[in-house]
Amino acid sequence: MIKDITIGQYFPGKSVVHRMDSRIKMILDLIYLVMLFVSQTFTGLIATMLFIVICYIISDIKLIMIIKSIKPILPLMIFTAILNMLFIGGEKPLFQWWIISIYPEGIRISAFMLIRIIALIVGMSLLTYTTSPIMLTDAIERLLTPLKKLRFPVHELSMMMTIALRFIPTLVEETEKIMSAQKARGADLDTGGIVKRAKALVPVLIPLFVSAFKRANDLATAMECRCYRGGEGRTRMRQLKIAARDIIAVIIVLAVLAGIILLNCFPIFP
Amino acid sequence: MDIIRTENLCYDYVTTDDEGNVTGRNPALKNVNLSIPEGQFLAVLGHNGCGKSTLAKHFNAILTPTEGKVFVDGIDTSCEEKLFEIRRTVGMVFQNPDNQLVATIVEEDVAFAPENLGVPPKEIRERVDSALKQVDMYEFREHAPHQLSGGQKQRVAIAGIIAMQPRCIVMDEPTAMLDPKGRKEVMSTIKRLNREQGITVILITHYMEEAAQADRVIVMDKGSVIMDDEPHRIFSREKELKAVGLDVPQVTELCCMLKDGGVDISAEIIFEEECSAAISELSLKKKTADIIREKIPETKKDAEEAARLENVTYKYSIGTPFEKTAVDNVNLTVFRGEFIGIIGHTGSGKSTLIQHLNGLIKPTSGTVFIDNADIHSKDVKIRDIRFKVGIVFQYSEHQLFEETVSEDIAYGPKNMGLSEEEVKKRVEEAAEVMGISKLLEKSPFELSGGQQRRVALAGVLAMNPEMLILDEPAAGLDPKGRNLILSLISNYHKKSGKTILLISHSMEDIVKYAEKVLVMNKGKIYKFDYIDNVFDDTESLVSIGLDVPQITRLSHKLRESGIDIGSDIYTTERAAQRLLSLM
Repeated sequence: MIKDITIGQYFPGKSVVHRMDSRIKMILDLIYLVMLFVSQTFTGLIATMLFIVICYIISDIKLIMIIKSIKPILPLMIFTAILNMLFIGGEKPLFQWWIISIYPEGIRISAFMLIRIIALIVGMSLLTYTTSPIMLTDAIERLLTPLKKLRFPVHELSMMMTIALRFIPTLVEETEKIMSAQKARGADLDTGGIVKRAKALVPVLIPLFVSAFKRANDLATAMECRCYRGGEGRTRMRQLKIAARDIIAVIIVLAVLAGIILLNCFPIFP
Repeated sequence: MDIIRTENLCYDYVTTDDEGNVTGRNPALKNVNLSIPEGQFLAVLGHNGCGKSTLAKHFNAILTPTEGKVFVDGIDTSCEEKLFEIRRTVGMVFQNPDNQLVATIVEEDVAFAPENLGVPPKEIRERVDSALKQVDMYEFREHAPHQLSGGQKQRVAIAGIIAMQPRCIVMDEPTAMLDPKGRKEVMSTIKRLNREQGITVILITHYMEEAAQADRVIVMDKGSVIMDDEPHRIFSREKELKAVGLDVPQVTELCCMLKDGGVDISAEIIFEEECSAAISELSLKKKTADIIREKIPETKKDAEEAARLENVTYKYSIGTPFEKTAVDNVNLTVFRGEFIGIIGHTGSGKSTLIQHLNGLIKPTSGTVFIDNADIHSKDVKIRDIRFKVGIVFQYSEHQLFEETVSEDIAYGPKNMGLSEEEVKKRVEEAAEVMGISKLLEKSPFELSGGQQRRVALAGVLAMNPEMLILDEPAAGLDPKGRNLILSLISNYHKKSGKTILLISHSMEDIVKYAEKVLVMNKGKIYKFDYIDNVFDDTESLVSIGLDVPQITRLSHKLRESGIDIGSDIYTTERAAQRLLSLM
């Protein structure tokens, strides 16, 4: 089950999008979000979607990944859409039965919301699909650097993210091992109600915590041995540089944003 | 000039109560005086808890002395302003390769230390590349640590230290958690760094063959250094070493045996080359030994079948580019009461194979029979199979979770739905078998590693399974702990007559305890027979990349120089006996 979730995964590649500066990519992703919330018309929304699909094609990411990234949260989205449909009122109901009445405005708004959320997830996924976790944390650290003046622990935050990313595969593997070991002792992890299952997990969770603490302790000593002393006076091997492709990307995205805003003012379709 | 010098170094572990008052002092180091000249390769031996890790942590100021002084390159380690200078001079590599890598990409991890030291980016790049080349991991620079093998991870950890350009590296059991291949990789890296770069190496290890390669060996016991000499002279003191729970290389043991048998041979021999040369110089009556072997027992006709695998194949990640056949069309019959050793290098499919026997893994194709019943058929409850076939996994101490040892052992029996008295009885019996009856009311987390391992074993024994499968039960323990746990298992086998399957990388251990051996290679059974039949042709085992005992390698060397003591040498006793027959 854990393996089916594609959100947050990274697919190594050599496309232009892969090679872009991760800071720029992150900022452009934020602009894309703005685009989504700025566009007030279906045309605008569809144009934004189209734009992100083109980005997927340029990045060499298979379009099936779009569907895969939406799949796990689809039920939740449909549920919200239905709620929206039921509760948004209008002038003339399209359909009425018992206390349920559905208005055209309701359908319009919930469809709008649905597309918007899908576009949002698809756009965010593209960032993680094309950027390695280490580049992402790097980008976050560097983009947040101004906050250091406000005593925000930027370096510590990015260090924590790096370590978390480093240990997720290790801990997943460890969990599987402990589960096998407890199953071999007759643990019944797969049947019964929620309470029973939760209780059955105790023999898995306790060893997992014990080992995580031991790992944390070992890692802290190892980091000390390698002269770690926080972000103070630290240099970085990887230097981020803005290239021509980054500037071109910024221009294109800004142009699309301008287009969307224009569409709001002069809608092609109402 | 000495890179490290200690003066009357004492260190106490202090226990305190909740208010911070000292409740007890536990001396870990007593008056250690040591000087280590630059460029030396020093090995530190001693059983678990003798204070060697505590000593190592003093060498780069992770700990500072309770009394006495430690100097690193002339700097007192208690001097806090010089802390980073000390740690840059003396780097440290630890046992668990997973717990010392920080970053998600190999080269980023190697860059960690120079980044901390504020080295300019361009120079970091150069240092990282050169460090990775020195440990032979350059082509893996963009891999994630979890994609690497243990030996590779450990080499990355070493590269991460080299990137600081230290003058000394302290390694605390760097090979304890690795397979034979990983151990060899790490050892050759260590030796190269010492010989070619002139880096001082301090290696803590439980493997006598590794210590034998050092320039100097110190032996610790109860917080003191009790021996300090050149390895040949250290290992010739066989009896003293065994008294403090240590071992000697097999060839040294052989020479001692020959000496006891009246042969004029030096006991200061630690390598097979030396031993082979020394034996060649002896005046031998003849050059070929008569091979008289005990008759190999035939499988009893009335032997009851305990488990059978029929055409079992298991594939990982079917339908993805990572598809891999872990177990390839295996047919295997295990009879009741057998003690079978399973060997094969990492990735040969042995761990996957055994998990078929209690249904943790369902074969992609083929059938698993336990007591003549297909365990994946509808009328067999898989949990009942788990109680019949107990598996103790590698590093089984990681599965402990209860508040007390007895509750932890009771977990399995309770899952079986046994009555309270029966559970209690089972716990007591299992604890007795594993020699932990006195620990029952303690928390499993306050025990030593070896004791925890025995608790975990007892937890499976308490289910009273008909077949017991152990995956590397002695991994990572010191020689004394290894022998203890293996002999406890062997005694249990003799007393209970249960079927036992033991996976081990160490052929020495398998030949000592098992009656049959199963050799796995590339997912297939390479050989499965009585020990003497399998080890009849040790050269073929070497050819599939198995790590054979040192004494076996010696027999191959001797044959090259014209002395044939048989191709079935795998114990020191047999080698000694054959050699004595030549005198």
